[in-house]
Amino acid sequence: MSPRVVVTGLGAVGPHGVGREALAAAFARGEPLASAVDRSEGFHDGAGSRLAAAVGAADLGAWLPPSQARRLGKPSRWAVAASRMALAEAGLADLQGKRAAVFLATAFGAVHYTEKLVRQLLDEGPEAAQPFYFSECVANAAAGQVAIALGASGANVTVTQREAGPLIALARGAQEVGEGRADVAIVGSADEMTPLLHAILDRYRATTRAEGESPRPFDRDRDGMLAGEGATMLVLEREADATARGASPLARIAGSASAFDPTATPSDWGDGADGLGRRLRVMRETLGPIDAIVSGASGTRRGDRLEALVLRSGWDGGALPPVLVPKAVVGEYAGGVLSGGLLALAGASFGPVAGFRSPDPELLVMPHDGSRFPRPARILASSLAAGGAAAWAVLERA
Amino acid sequence: MSGAERSVPTSADIVVTGLGAVTAYGWGVDPLWDGLREGAGAIAPFSRFDATRHRTRLAAQVPPSPAGARYERRSSFADRFAVESVREALRMAGLEGAASGPMTGVFFGSSTGGMLESERYYERLLHDPRHRARPGLLASQQLNGPGDAVAREIGAQGPSETFSSACASGAIAIGAALRALRRGEVDLAVAGASDALCQLTYAGFNALRSVDERPSRPFRADRAGLSIGEGAGVLVLERRARALSRGARVLATVAGEAATCDAFHMTAPQPQGHGAARAMRLALEDAGATPAEVDFVNAHGTGTPLNDAAEAAALQAVFGDRVPAIPVTSTKASIGHLLGSAGAVEALVTVMCLVRREVHPMPPAGDPDAALGLDLVLGRHRPLRRAGCALSTSLAFGGANAALVLRHDEAA
Repeated sequence: MSPRVVVTGLGAVGPHGVGREALAAAFARGEPLASAVDRSEGFHDGAGSRLAAAVGAADLGAWLPPSQARRLGKPSRWAVAASRMALAEAGLADLQGKRAAVFLATAFGAVHYTEKLVRQLLDEGPEAAQPFYFSECVANAAAGQVAIALGASGANVTVTQREAGPLIALARGAQEVGEGRADVAIVGSADEMTPLLHAILDRYRATTRAEGESPRPFDRDRDGMLAGEGATMLVLEREADATARGASPLARIAGSASAFDPTATPSDWGDGADGLGRRLRVMRETLGPIDAIVSGASGTRRGDRLEALVLRSGWDGGALPPVLVPKAVVGEYAGGVLSGGLLALAGASFGPVAGFRSPDPELLVMPHDGSRFPRPARILASSLAAGGAAAWAVLERA
Repeated sequence: MSGAERSVPTSADIVVTGLGAVTAYGWGVDPLWDGLREGAGAIAPFSRFDATRHRTRLAAQVPPSPAGARYERRSSFADRFAVESVREALRMAGLEGAASGPMTGVFFGSSTGGMLESERYYERLLHDPRHRARPGLLASQQLNGPGDAVAREIGAQGPSETFSSACASGAIAIGAALRALRRGEVDLAVAGASDALCQLTYAGFNALRSVDERPSRPFRADRAGLSIGEGAGVLVLERRARALSRGARVLATVAGEAATCDAFHMTAPQPQGHGAARAMRLALEDAGATPAEVDFVNAHGTGTPLNDAAEAAALQAVFGDRVPAIPVTSTKASIGHLLGSAGAVEALVTVMCLVRREVHPMPPAGDPDAALGLDLVLGRHRPLRRAGCALSTSLAFGGANAALVLRHDEAA
């Protein structure tokens, strides 16, 4: 059996700002962290959504000097800063002498520089293409920059599996450490939400257009997610190593699984709740009681429906523990399932979901109502991706 | 993954039972092998987009798809290459229509997915922001597009994971498949990668001055850059016991894999190839092999001055005095650099070399760079007296390196 792997650090840059305290406070309030999107380019539908969970003028100075930041795209900046934050919490000032791997998920990569480069090509022709935009627009730019900034010379893997990516990166990073190929794994996700990407998601009707644009996971009238951005990075180590150097783990990774629903379409969720539910049930039965579910539900019609049906199938129709929906606060693509899962284990409170009004009679799953519940010993993190991929992880108090 | 394993087989013996490829030589493994063996190269003027204003005008473009081939609506070029490759690979493995289910996993790579289609969408949008350009055009733009298309095509219900670590994506995907099989997460793994030509990468590499105006000449003294190509490669992997029990033909063993990072520079390799050498050593270690057992190397070999020098330095570090005795080829010299799918197609070609007991040549143009000290296979294929073990390397943007060790199989 592989050695047990623990999380010893968490770093987050997102619509909440910088760091875990601000994030925990935001989860406790339960209000979406939404701000206006720049619609001046005219890409947006007039009746479309106007808000996103954007990263504001976050001060990364403590983690990333401006002279370094200016050479990086936003996802790279946030990922480097969040990784340093996580390492500081882990008490690993540097990675000297440690084999460190990076497993970083991104749904869309460095969209801003990709757009800039494509626009140069289309507006002015290929002669205008700037090399800097190209080297920072590859999907693995953030993972590469994290490795360069921290001297992480182990495997450097970028996972691009939409909403399921962060949990896949967590699981694969944990295996890298558990199986002894690395001493430390820096895992997580980084994404940015540009006006154009926001407009496209809106044209797909993926984003909520409801009054106030507050996403309503599992609500009968949910009509889309709040598009978000940010980076959430974790430090993983073998438990014995963490204990030996006196670190206090935030969580232990008890198990993980991933699966695919072939009934999905390229841009939406499918109807394969039975297949996915069976996989979840196997994992749950192997691992024992779960005290809370940190759901990837974000307010989309079909994504939340599938999530609810899979959870119910995974629990054999029995009563579910509290279902927390961090993406109602930080939006989609900000790594909310990872940070929400760790903060839930740490005993953070989660306020009522601001936009939730009425249960969906088909789903029979409701988001946690904000009442107090015992600090969980073990949580399930769940993320189903548009396109068919699914990933779960079980985290427990170490 | 961990925690929910079924009974885990201890055998680490993972074999290849099917191959599928789409490259500039055509749709299929046979045209690829015949083209490589002939050594004429498929890098030429191309038509996928207008290249007249680009600095260079060559690429290795895939010819039109076979008549009657059917694909999902809105599928991108990259999706189609991937789907056609998996169809061929499953036919070869004797698993056509029989690969669905929860113990089948898809491990795929892509560096740009349907970027070409995205560019077309964006062009319309920029021309007229109010234009009601159908976002459906973008459905397959996502990097997970080709891998998801493959998983849907075969009805896979196990893990489906896409990796986008630039030019190491395909090799990393095969490595992930190998581990998933070793752990018992899946019984059958479809591993591969797909990428299509697009203006973004074409202009980007040109902006970096990394593209040769002539077909690329890896490890040659006058090398001046890479040539860009497109295509897909898919390998069907399973545990040996399962392959034998169902009477499948075993083509080769995937014996080891490793990935490392230079942690040095986004676009330039660490000049001494330290990270690449570590990947090679770790992959050999993973395979339980020594450098002395390696009979040839399918190098990353892009043809850029810096990459080839760093890779040669890495080979010197790993193989020392044996370097002059190890034949080295680069598939990119013939079919271009397939970016995210390069590592997958090259692993597939390496399997073919082991099966046929010969190393495919690079087109002959250009004198070897004597300073690199490599034994290049140029112009004519090289029979292998011993075809035991081969190394395939992938070195990418962001300093991501991956190496695969493949073994000849007596049953092949």
